[in-house]
Amino acid sequence: MFKNEEMEINLGPQHPSTHGVLRVKLRLDGETVVKCTPIIGYLHRGVEKICENKTYFQGQVWTDRMDYVAAISNNLGWAEGVEKLFGIETPRRAKYIRTMLTEMNRIASHLLWLATHALDIGAMTVFLYTFREREYLLDLFEAFCGARLTTTAFRIGGLREDLPPGFIKQAQAFQDMFLPCIDEYETLLTENRIWKKRTVGVARLSAEDCIALGVTGPVLRAAGVPYDIRKAFPNAAYAEMDFLVPTRPEADTYARYLVRLEEMRQSHRIIQQCIDGLPEGPVMAKIPKILKSEVNEVYHAIEAPKGELGYYFVGEKGGTMPYRMHVRAPSFVNLQALPKMVEGRLLADVIAAIGTLDVVLGEIDR
Amino acid sequence: MSEPIEPQTPAEPEVPTGPYVYDYAASPQRQIVLPKTVPLPSLRTYRAEVVAQQAADEAKWQKMQADYETAKAKAEAEGKDAPKPPVKPVPRKDDNDLKTPWPEEAKDPDLLRLQELLGDKVEEVFEQAGELTCQVRKEALLEALRLCRDDADLKYEMLADQTGTHYPAAKDFAFSLVYHLTSISRRKRLRVRILVPEGFEPESACSLYLSANWLERETYDMLGVRFQDHPDMTRILCPEDWEGYPLRKEYPTVGLGQRDIDFRDDRGGMLMRIAMEKAGQMGINLKQPKAD
Repeated sequence: MFKNEEMEINLGPQHPSTHGVLRVKLRLDGETVVKCTPIIGYLHRGVEKICENKTYFQGQVWTDRMDYVAAISNNLGWAEGVEKLFGIETPRRAKYIRTMLTEMNRIASHLLWLATHALDIGAMTVFLYTFREREYLLDLFEAFCGARLTTTAFRIGGLREDLPPGFIKQAQAFQDMFLPCIDEYETLLTENRIWKKRTVGVARLSAEDCIALGVTGPVLRAAGVPYDIRKAFPNAAYAEMDFLVPTRPEADTYARYLVRLEEMRQSHRIIQQCIDGLPEGPVMAKIPKILKSEVNEVYHAIEAPKGELGYYFVGEKGGTMPYRMHVRAPSFVNLQALPKMVEGRLLADVIAAIGTLDVVLGEIDR
Repeated sequence: MSEPIEPQTPAEPEVPTGPYVYDYAASPQRQIVLPKTVPLPSLRTYRAEVVAQQAADEAKWQKMQADYETAKAKAEAEGKDAPKPPVKPVPRKDDNDLKTPWPEEAKDPDLLRLQELLGDKVEEVFEQAGELTCQVRKEALLEALRLCRDDADLKYEMLADQTGTHYPAAKDFAFSLVYHLTSISRRKRLRVRILVPEGFEPESACSLYLSANWLERETYDMLGVRFQDHPDMTRILCPEDWEGYPLRKEYPTVGLGQRDIDFRDDRGGMLMRIAMEKAGQMGINLKQPKAD
C-alpha cells in the first residue's frame, strides 16, 4: 500500500533559483504544493538603523546595497525623498540626466531578470544574450560615476558632475543597437513552446489580489491595472516624457514577461527623449554644505524596476541625520503574494513564481 | 643536590561558566544618546512654536529699546554723545534653493471629508510638503482605515506602507504608527497616523488590507509594537530568539555583546570550552591527550 502523507521540504536558502538567500518552506502532497511559507531575514543588515546614524549625504551609499541590481533607482528615491524633506528644487538638466540613468538601470535590471528567470525555467541561451547588453549599460554607469553596481550616482540637490564627454555618443550607440536585441530575445522565447508551457497560466494573481496584497510594478500591470508611479505621481522628468504603460489582462507569468519586455521598449523611448531634449544649465541646486532639517515627515515613492519603492523620512529640528528612515521595498511586499500564487499548483511552478516576482533579497531583508 | 623539579601542569584556560550571556547593558562601547526632542510633525505644535518665537522676538526688541532709552538718558545726564539707536533685527536670508516645507492648514477635500465623517475621533489633519496627514485616535484606527477604503469619495484601495517611529522623549505616547494609503483610481496618497503608548496593542489592519500582514510583522520585529488579531505575530527579519527591538532609540548601534569582546583574548577560551564540552559528550578526554 502507498502511504498518502504530506511531505515538508525546504527550498533554499542556498538554492540557485531563489535569487539570493530566500527560504521557502513547502508542504507537498506529491508534486502539489499544499502550503507555502516564505522565510526571510538571512540578509538583514539593519540598513534603516545604520541610516539613522548617517547624515543625509552618507545614507545614499547604503541604498546601493539594497536592490543591488537597480542601485540607481534606489539612489533616485533617496535623493528625491531627501529633497522633498528639505524643499529643494533640482535643476532641470539634473532631472533629465537622472531620468535617463534610471531608465538605463531599469533596462539593466529587466535584462538580469530575464536572464535568471529564463535560466530557472531552463532556457539557458537567453542569459548569454541579455548579459551582452547589460555589460554595455554597466560600462556606461562606470563612465558616469565610476562604479558598475554600487553607483551612488546622484547627490542631494542634483548631480556631482555633469555627464562625461562622449557619454551621449555612447548612449546613442546603445540606443541604436538595443531595439533589435529585444526582438532577438523574443525570437528565443515568445513563441517557444516549452517557454509557453512553463509560463502560460502559471502563478496567476488577479488584480483584486494584487491590490489587496499591495503588489506593485510589472506584476500589477500584468494583471491589467495601469498603475505606474511615473504616470500617477510623476517624479524626476517623467511628466515631460511621452511613454506608455504596458498592461496585459492575463495576470500570469507569460503576461509579466511580455509586460517587462514592453517596458524595456518604453524605457528605450524615454532614454531617447532624454538624449534629444537634454536641456542646458547647471546640474546642482544651491544648497548649504550642512543640511539641517526641520520637523517633517515625507513618504516619497518612485517606480523602481520591481515596483513601488518608497522612502519614509522623519526629520528632526536641526538634525543632520534622519530621525527615522524606513524603506518600503517593493520585493518585500511583492513576496507576500507568493503563497497565493503557488498554493495548489505544482512544485516546479514555485520556481517560475519566484522568478516572475523578480525579488532581490538584498532589498527584502535590508 | 637540588630538589627535583615538579612537572608543571599548564594552567587551564579560564572557562566562562554557564551559558555565555554578555551583559550588554554594562558594555563600555554602548553609548546611547537618547533624543531629547519629539520630532513629531504637527500643525498645532508648529503654530505654538511660531507664536512663542514671535513673542520672544518681540520681548527682545522691547528690551533693546528700553536699554537704549536708559543709555540715552544716562549719556545726556553725563553730557556725552548719545548712543546709536537699536536696529530691529531682520531674519537672515540664505542664498540657496531651500523652501522649507511647513505644516499647513488642511484644504484637501479628502482630509475634510475624513474629519467630517469621523468627528472628534480625528485628532489632527494637516498638509506638509504636499502630503496629507490624518492623525486619528488610537482606538479609531480600524474605523478610519475602513472609511478610507470603502467610502465612495475616498477609495484608498491599497496599503502601500506601514511603519512606526519611536519617540522616547514624548510623555504621553511612545510610538507613532503611520499607514501610507494609495488610491490607484484617484491617484492620491494619504497618511493615517496614530500615537500609541508603550504596551498598547493597536488592532491589526490585516482584515482590511492583506498587505498589512508582513508590514505589521516588521513593525513588531523592529519596534516591539504588537498588533491585536494578527494572524501570525512573529518576528520576520530577525531570528525568533532575538533580544530587543533594533529600531528603538535605546538599542545600541554597536553589536549586542559579540563585537565588544576582544576576540584575540577570548577566542581561545571560547573555542576550548566548546571543544571540551563536545568532546566530553563523546567520552573523549581532551585535557590529557595520549602521548604517542
